[in-house]
This record gives sequence, C-alpha cells and structure tokens, in this order.
Amino acid sequence: MKKNKNVIEVEGKVVECLRSAMFTVELENGHQVLAHISGKIRKNYIKIYLEDRVLVELPPYDLTRGRIVFRYRN
Amino acid sequence: MNTKPFTSGLSENAVMITRVADRQWHALDDDLVVGCGYAEHRPDGRLFVSIDAWHDATFDRLAEAMLAELPAPLYTVVDEADVELTDGWLRAGFTIRRREWEYAVPTDPRVTGLEEVLPPAGVTIVPAGQADESLLRAADRAIRDEVEATVGWWQSMPAEVIPRPEGDTIVDPSKYAVAAAPDRYLGLIRVVTVNRPRIGLVAVRAGEQRRGIARALLAHALGTLHRSGFAAAWTEVHESNQAASALFEGIGARPMSSNLELVR
Repeated sequence: MKKNKNVIEVEGKVVECLRSAMFTVELENGHQVLAHISGKIRKNYIKIYLEDRVLVELPPYDLTRGRIVFRYRN
Repeated sequence: MNTKPFTSGLSENAVMITRVADRQWHALDDDLVVGCGYAEHRPDGRLFVSIDAWHDATFDRLAEAMLAELPAPLYTVVDEADVELTDGWLRAGFTIRRREWEYAVPTDPRVTGLEEVLPPAGVTIVPAGQADESLLRAADRAIRDEVEATVGWWQSMPAEVIPRPEGDTIVDPSKYAVAAAPDRYLGLIRVVTVNRPRIGLVAVRAGEQRRGIARALLAHALGTLHRSGFAAAWTEVHESNQAASALFEGIGARPMSSNLELVR
C-alpha cells in the first residue's frame, strides 16, 4: 500500500465485473471494494476484465469504494 | 496557470478547485484531494478531458472550472453503462457524438465458421512477423488515404489513440498479418495481445473489397489465436461502420459494451 496525493493506493485483483461499468476488486488484505475506472484509463481505451491485476485508489473517507487507476500486465 | 482557488459553496467543508498544472486540476477538501481533472491531446489533435471525483458536486465544480479555461471543442469518452458519469458530462453541456461497440470475438473455427475459409485466388496470407515492412507501410498508407477521402475518420478511431511517432501509423510491423498479391499488399490485420488479444485494425484496399479478403485475414488471425490457447479476442467497431459490424457478427462476435464519445 502506498499514499499518493493524500489518497491510498492498493493493488488488487478484479473478482467480479458488474453492471454500470463497476468492478469488485479484492485487495491484497482480502478486503473487497466496489471500483470504477479512472478517466485516464477510459480515455486510453484500456479495458478491465475478470482477474486483471489493478492498482486501486481509495477515497480517504470511504474505504469500501475505489477507482482503478492502473492495470498491470499479467 | 491559475492557482487561485475558489470554493464550491456546496458543503460545510467547501471543496476548492485549483489548476495545479497546465492540463490538471485538483478538487481539495480540507487539503485532501477529492477529485482530479485532466486534459490531453490525442494524436488526431483533439483535446480530451476526464474527471475523477467521488461526488457529483465535486465533479460539477471541476467541470465548471475546466470548461471555463479550456478551448472548445472538448471531447470525452464514457462507458455507456456508466450512467452516473455520463449524466455528469451531460449536465456539463456535453452531447453524444458517436458510439463504439466492443465485441467479444470467438476464435474457435467451429464457432466462427471460418474453418474452410481461404483467400481468393492469387492472394496469399503472410503471417504476422513475416510481412515486408515497405509493402506493409505502402498498403497502410493507401488504405488510410482511401478512408480519409471518403468517411474521413480513421484518425479518430479508438485504435489510433496510442501515442506514436509523428506521422507513423505502424508502430510495430510484427503485429500485422497481410493479404498479399504478387506485387503489393491488399489488406492487413493487426492483433496486439496485452493480457488478452485485441484486433486493432482490419482493412482492405477499396478496389479489393467484397472478395473475401477480410474474412480470410480474420480466419488466419483468429485461427492463430485459437491454436495459441485464446478463446476470444476483442475489438471495437464504430456504430456507423455497418460492414465491420456485419463481418464480426457474421462470425459469432457479440457486442459486450459500448463507449460514447461526447463533445462540447
């Protein structure tokens, strides 16, 4: 886990693709968060699929939500 | 650069918007970054914006600040299923410009029906990595010129958003398989695999279309992927490109999602 720009960034794995362009991501510590895709990823047509390893940004006041800011190469 | 913050006035802890770089804005709530806005030129020269915010009010304030400082027209891309984000951009005055479908394309020849498909007489398929680079570039340039002279949108295709050297449309020649006549290349297909295969381009010279060359290229590329263990590939098709939609749907591809390009 690392902190950047006052937000928390955690690695995780996509375990479920939901409707409304949302994803369930299981974090390294076993927690699951409901995440959407960051604007930068969307603009570059980077697709997120089941079992992708991703970097998730968590809001400082709600650790149940997240934003996928990076997709790792498997 | 405008570094003077202004408050949203929407909450007790007012969100402050600051332009922190030429193309970047932050929404700050008690010194915490609760939203970011970005602007970026695509290779076709158009300016695309994006906003990441945890609340609608923050999104709206970021959009207001960015739109006041950036020149029109501005573009953005959303997943059509993301209703919340789409609504945010519509509130900001954006309108839908076009739609692109994302297809899952099966690779199994028994599913695609491409098992027996061969190129037309006099045409051979050159596998990826074996194409002559000068002939490949000549075919790519000729096809792009033909598209530009007709529908004219190849530069804004989703497959073209990846930064590349100025004027170069073939970043990695090894990713292309081609349909070859004795003297020139007639068509090409590009498949790039990052985690999973994506068909970035299927194109045939205007005078050679309707001969089955695109189907033969697909049969070759999908068959290669199938033998490599990939069950499906992915591709995006512009909604108005009915020929491409028919080609993919005819081999069992299914639309899985859609992207909207918005403009203001």
